[in-house]
Amino acid sequence: MKNIVKVQRAILDITQEELAKKIGVSRQTINSIEKNRYVPSTVLALKLSQVFGIPVNEFFSLTEED
Amino acid sequence: MKTSNIIEYERNQINELSKYQLPNRFKTIGMAILILSFLGLISIVFMSETNELITEISKKGILIGMLLISISKDKIEDEMTAALRSKSYSIAFISGVLYTLIMPYVDYSVSSVVNSGGEVLKDLGDFQILIFMLMIQLLFFHTLKRAS
Repeated sequence: MKNIVKVQRAILDITQEELAKKIGVSRQTINSIEKNRYVPSTVLALKLSQVFGIPVNEFFSLTEED
Repeated sequence: MKTSNIIEYERNQINELSKYQLPNRFKTIGMAILILSFLGLISIVFMSETNELITEISKKGILIGMLLISISKDKIEDEMTAALRSKSYSIAFISGVLYTLIMPYVDYSVSSVVNSGGEVLKDLGDFQILIFMLMIQLLFFHTLKRAS
């Protein structure tokens, strides 16, 4: 799974800390998601979708490994 | 009672049981108990005669302290922390079983070599197994968090 959370965050011009606060997780979790080290749950993905204002599949996509 | 109701009841009970975590402040309490108990255990070395009561209380204190640290929530406990915590418990459980199975033979082999035979194969004590499992859990949880 790959994602463009970092790009979407840059578009909104918010820090990892600010995004983390908005969806109720730690900054470390946002960092891990951006670096593809952690795949979030559906609930968290939908919360990110709400913040970014775009559907989940626009910032998360499957890779060949999946 | 219908089977589906029993399954539903069991599911609810298990869900209730899984809410075992304590607030973050218990981590500090656990740390204080751990340090005090550790000091208690060290103080026995300086005593002229061994005090069984202090030894037992200190050992129990160390286990309780580590358990409190282990089951206390992080400052921000989110789903990634929960996933890492769950992974660390799995590793600790499997390591604990392997340690319990293998360690008596390691002890036996080492003491046979050192004391040139005549040793008896002994099982590990509960304290040794529990402290090992708690140490592995805490170590892996922090390592996984750092690596994530």
